[in-house]
Amino acid sequence: MISTKVRRRLPWGVYLVLLPTFALLAAFAYYPALNGMVHSLFEWRPGFESPFVGFENYLTMLGDDLWWASFRNIGIIFVWAVTLMWVLPLLAAELVMSLSSERLRFVFRTLLILPLAFPAVVNVLLWQFMYDPRDGVINSLLRAVGLDGLAGNWIGDPDTALVALMTIGFPWVASLPFLVFLSALQNVPAEIYQAAEVDGAGRLRRFWSIDLPMMFRDVKLLFVLAVISVLQYGMQAHIMTKGGPDNATQVPVLRMLDAAFLDTSWGYAATLGTVLFALTLAVSLVALALGRKAQA
Amino acid sequence: MSRTRRTNLVAGAALSVLAFAGLFPYLFMVVASVKDNEQFFASYWSPAWPLHLENYAAAWEQVSPYLFTSFVVAGLAIAGTLALAPASAFVFARYRFPGRNTLFALIAALLMVPSITSLIPLFVLMRDLGILDSRLVLIVPHITANTVFGIVVMRTYMAQLPEEIFEAARVDGAGGIRVFLAFMLPLARPVIGTVALMTVLGVWNDYFWPLLTVQTDAYRTIPAGLAFFANQNVQQWGPLFAGYVLASLPLVVLFTFLSKWFLAGIQGGIVSGK
Repeated sequence: MISTKVRRRLPWGVYLVLLPTFALLAAFAYYPALNGMVHSLFEWRPGFESPFVGFENYLTMLGDDLWWASFRNIGIIFVWAVTLMWVLPLLAAELVMSLSSERLRFVFRTLLILPLAFPAVVNVLLWQFMYDPRDGVINSLLRAVGLDGLAGNWIGDPDTALVALMTIGFPWVASLPFLVFLSALQNVPAEIYQAAEVDGAGRLRRFWSIDLPMMFRDVKLLFVLAVISVLQYGMQAHIMTKGGPDNATQVPVLRMLDAAFLDTSWGYAATLGTVLFALTLAVSLVALALGRKAQA
Repeated sequence: MSRTRRTNLVAGAALSVLAFAGLFPYLFMVVASVKDNEQFFASYWSPAWPLHLENYAAAWEQVSPYLFTSFVVAGLAIAGTLALAPASAFVFARYRFPGRNTLFALIAALLMVPSITSLIPLFVLMRDLGILDSRLVLIVPHITANTVFGIVVMRTYMAQLPEEIFEAARVDGAGGIRVFLAFMLPLARPVIGTVALMTVLGVWNDYFWPLLTVQTDAYRTIPAGLAFFANQNVQQWGPLFAGYVLASLPLVVLFTFLSKWFLAGIQGGIVSGK
C-alpha cells in the first residue's frame, strides 16, 4: 500500500506537462538570449563562417560616439519622464480624489484614461501629424493666433526634435503613473484623512504629510520601471525621426538595429544588445535587492 | 457645503482641461476622418458637411489586411499561450516535485530579459529556420512572452485558491487532469482573461519585430502596417485618419466592454515585475 503510494507520487506526469513549455522556451527564449551573448564575441556573419574576435566589439563600442550620444538622449528622456511626466498625472489623481461625488470621479477617471484604449502607434502617428510643419495642429494654432514667427519644423529641427518626441502624449495622464497614483490615493484609509482634518491640516499639508509618504513605495516601483522602459525606448523615435535629424534623437535601440540591419555588423549589434540587457538586469537586481532590504 | 461645491467646480474645470488636452488628437482624428481635403483646409477646426464616409472605404482597403493578420496572430498566440501556460502554472501551484523551485525560477528569470535585447539573435534564429516573412514568425515570440508572463501570474492566482475545493474533487476520485479541466480552468477565468488581453495588447503594440521580419504587405500587423500606411497616404488627411480609426477600433471595443481586464493587462508589467 505504502509502496504504491510512493510510486504514485513519482511525478512523471508533472514533468510531462512542463516539457512542451520548456521545449518552446529553450528554442525561442534561452537559446537566442545566450546565443546573442556568445556571438557578441564574434564577427557574426549569419550563414557564413563567423570568426572569433574576443572583446573587439566591446572595444568598438567604447569608441562609438553615436552609442554614447544615444545614452545622453535617453538620459534626458528619463529625467523628463520622472519629473514632468509624473507631475500632471499626480495633479490629476489628486484632483479626481478631491471630487466629492463617486459618479464624477468615475466619469473623469474614464475620460482621463480613455487615450489608453488606442494603440500606441496611433498615438505616435497622430502626434506626427500635430507636428506637421504645414498642416499640423501646433503650427495651425500658432498661425491662427498670429504667432506665425513661432511656427517651426518641430521634428525636422535638431534643436526641437528630442523635446517634440518627449512631448508625445501630453498631458500624459492616460498612463501607468496616473493609474498607480490614483489607486495609491484610493487606498489611503479614510480615518487618516478624518484625523488630519480634525487636526486642522489643509489640503496642501495633507498632500505633503499623508499622500506623498503613502505613495513612496509605488513611486520607487515607477522609478525602476521608468529606467527599464527608457533603455528600451525606440518606437516613437523610429516612426518620427529615425534617430535624426543629425542624430539628435538617436537612442540605444535604434543604434543597435542600425548596426545589424544597415551596417550588417551582426556581432556588434549582438554586443550592443548584450550591454542593454546587462544594464536592464543590473537595474532590476538592484531594485529587487533594495526592495528586500526595505521589507526586512 | 458650498466649499465642497467650490472644490468640485475648480477640480472639475481643471480635470476637464486635462481630459480635453489628452483626447484632443483623437477627437481631431475622428472629425477629420470624414472630411475631404478641401473641407480639411476650409474648416480646419470644425466639423464639415457632407460627411465623406468613402474615406473609410478607401482606408479599409489598405488597413483591413493588417487587421486580419493582427487578429490571426493574436488569436493563434492566445491559443498557443493557453495550451501551455495554465497547465504549467497548475503544476507549479499545486504539486510538489523535485526541482520545482529551480524550474520556476528559470521561467521567472525570463521576465527580466526584454524582448528588444534578444531581437538580433532571435532574428538570426528565425532566418536560419527559414520562417522570415511569414505569419508564424510573428506568432511565436508572442506565445513565448505570454507563456512566461502567464505562468507567473496564473501560478500566483492558482496557489491562493483554497485547497478544500480540490480536496473534495479528489475524494470523489477525480485525477489531476480532471481537477485541472473541470475545476481549475473555470476558476482561473479572470486571470486567463487578463493573459489573453495582454496578448492582444502585445500584438497591437509590438512595432519592431513585424517591421523587421516581414516584407509581404498582407503579413504586417497593425503597428508596422499602420506606419507603412501613413507613409503611403501622405497629405491624404481624410483616408489617413479613417485608417487610424479603423486600426484603433478593436482595442477601443475591448476597452469599452472589458475595461477592468484591459487595465489589469496594462498594469501587468507591475504584476510581473514583482
